[in-house]
Amino acid sequence: MHIPDNYLSPSTCAAMGAAMVPVWTKAIRKVKEEIPKAKIPLLGVGAAFSFLLMMFNVPLPGGTTGHAVGGTLLAILMGPYAACISVTVALFIQALLFGDGGILAFGANCFNMAFVLPFFGYYIYKLIKDHVRSEKGEYLGIILGSYAGINIAALCAAIEFGIQPLLFKDGAGQALYCPYPLSVSIPAMLIPHLLVAGIVEAVFTVAIVVYIKKVSPGTFYKGAKEKTRAVYGLVAGLICFTPLGLLATGTAWGEWGADEIKEVVSGGNALGFVPHGMKEGFNFGAVLPDYAVSGLPEVAGYLLSAVAGVAIMIIFFKILGNMKKDKAGNNVGSYRN
Amino acid sequence: MDHTEIKVNDMPEWLLKNENYIPSADKDTFVNKSILSVFKVLSRIKKQDSAGETAFQINVPLKVFGTLVLILLVSLTRSFVFVIIVNVWLLAVLSMTDTTRMIVILKLSMGITFFTAIIMLPAFVLGNTYSSIMITTKVFATITAMGLLSHSTKWSALTQALKRFYLPDIFIFILDITIKYIYMLGEFSLNMFYALKLRSVGKNRGKYSSMAGIAGTVFLQSKEMAEDMYHAMECRGFTGEYHMNDKSMFKWRDYLYIGIIAVFFTLFIYFGKV
Repeated sequence: MHIPDNYLSPSTCAAMGAAMVPVWTKAIRKVKEEIPKAKIPLLGVGAAFSFLLMMFNVPLPGGTTGHAVGGTLLAILMGPYAACISVTVALFIQALLFGDGGILAFGANCFNMAFVLPFFGYYIYKLIKDHVRSEKGEYLGIILGSYAGINIAALCAAIEFGIQPLLFKDGAGQALYCPYPLSVSIPAMLIPHLLVAGIVEAVFTVAIVVYIKKVSPGTFYKGAKEKTRAVYGLVAGLICFTPLGLLATGTAWGEWGADEIKEVVSGGNALGFVPHGMKEGFNFGAVLPDYAVSGLPEVAGYLLSAVAGVAIMIIFFKILGNMKKDKAGNNVGSYRN
Repeated sequence: MDHTEIKVNDMPEWLLKNENYIPSADKDTFVNKSILSVFKVLSRIKKQDSAGETAFQINVPLKVFGTLVLILLVSLTRSFVFVIIVNVWLLAVLSMTDTTRMIVILKLSMGITFFTAIIMLPAFVLGNTYSSIMITTKVFATITAMGLLSHSTKWSALTQALKRFYLPDIFIFILDITIKYIYMLGEFSLNMFYALKLRSVGKNRGKYSSMAGIAGTVFLQSKEMAEDMYHAMECRGFTGEYHMNDKSMFKWRDYLYIGIIAVFFTLFIYFGKV
């Protein structure tokens, strides 16, 4: 997910860097409040840890290996603000000394991996952990938090790539930077992250948390309770982003309607026909077909669909939380090991 | 002859059996790969200690500034000729560095350039020849410039240069600790990887969970080290402030370097207008 230089326009890089300034300021202030002076070196050591974590290869099915980013893990262990600073420093060293990730794109990389990833992952973890008060709920939170965190970060990177051809073209209409629109960049980034990297991240994060809990249970970051409200803000922000999907020139990759599948280009040749099954079968008549509710402008339809999706998710987790709470009350003794 | 026969009879039967134990093969590529990647980082950190001893040493803050300007110009320009000129200049500088360093820098920049070329291939096929060629060559220039900077300068000098750019002390402090502790924690985890490898004879089902154990132990160790370090700092009177006592003046080669950067700036403006 390390974006090299020249994939993004300098103005995008500047904007992302500017967006990170208030985040860094807030993070440093928060860390000074939360972490006693004696633990300031922990930030540097934490950065070294997050750097090394990316060196740890984890086996994947098929004999290959991959590595985790560990943003959510650091946020769970040290708090999201300290994680933000640690990952920032690790990224800085990678960019300046190891040539991994661009110098100009540093702001964008930090936005994705030092801000979006740990904060989103942490607040999802916190939300689920506070609503599902059992050990299983905590692990569910870790799994979903780390899985969602890395995927949302990948989505941010994909959006940054995808808006380049829309914003920056030369006189002949050719893209100046990353040439792929959102319809290509989003599936290209998200499919491997959803299928592989997200799972690696989740498994590795849970395994390490389980181990540290067993060996040294007192070392976890204890965030304030009311902080979970922030996750609602994050979700609201994401909902506002959904109309970005409209900017894509085509339908999202893999989401073609039957009339569009004909024009799908594969290997340079248009498909030229509609697969039989698609024409006749599979017509579920979704509640909000094509994310556009009739009679509403398209943007509003997108927003509406996003709100509905989020609401359904919240309802689902509330129900789940309620079921778990009853169970947890019965066996207080085994509440936590 | 008799003597040995008696001895053979005294020995328990199971000792006399010929055993042919071949440990069943187990996959441990991920352990090997982890060892290799940690090792690479460690050797890179060790090597940079000798980086400052090249003959043509330019004032470090100036070099950092010059590299950043060059990268920014390359990123901003729309002129292919300008990118080619920068590439040629970088190749010329590269050719003057010693071979081992050159190979390492080239490996990295060629690798990332190749990766970019593959990513840009579909766009190239679909007719977007401009950005695919432009981005690939720009990526090569940027990575090579960064490689030249980080491979020809001591990292302690680089962090010192950051102080010149008015970066806050706490940031430089954390950066310094990070580099040192990447080395220390890296060595620490390397030993654990060796231990895991040595103890895994034949099939070892617990290997995957051991991986999490290694990472977890590194984290716990890092917490302990951080606290020890603070106490050590306090004992020695270090408050986290950095003072510079480097009053070095620009030498003739520094002025030459400024001249080269100025030439690139002029070229950038000239080709921007054409």
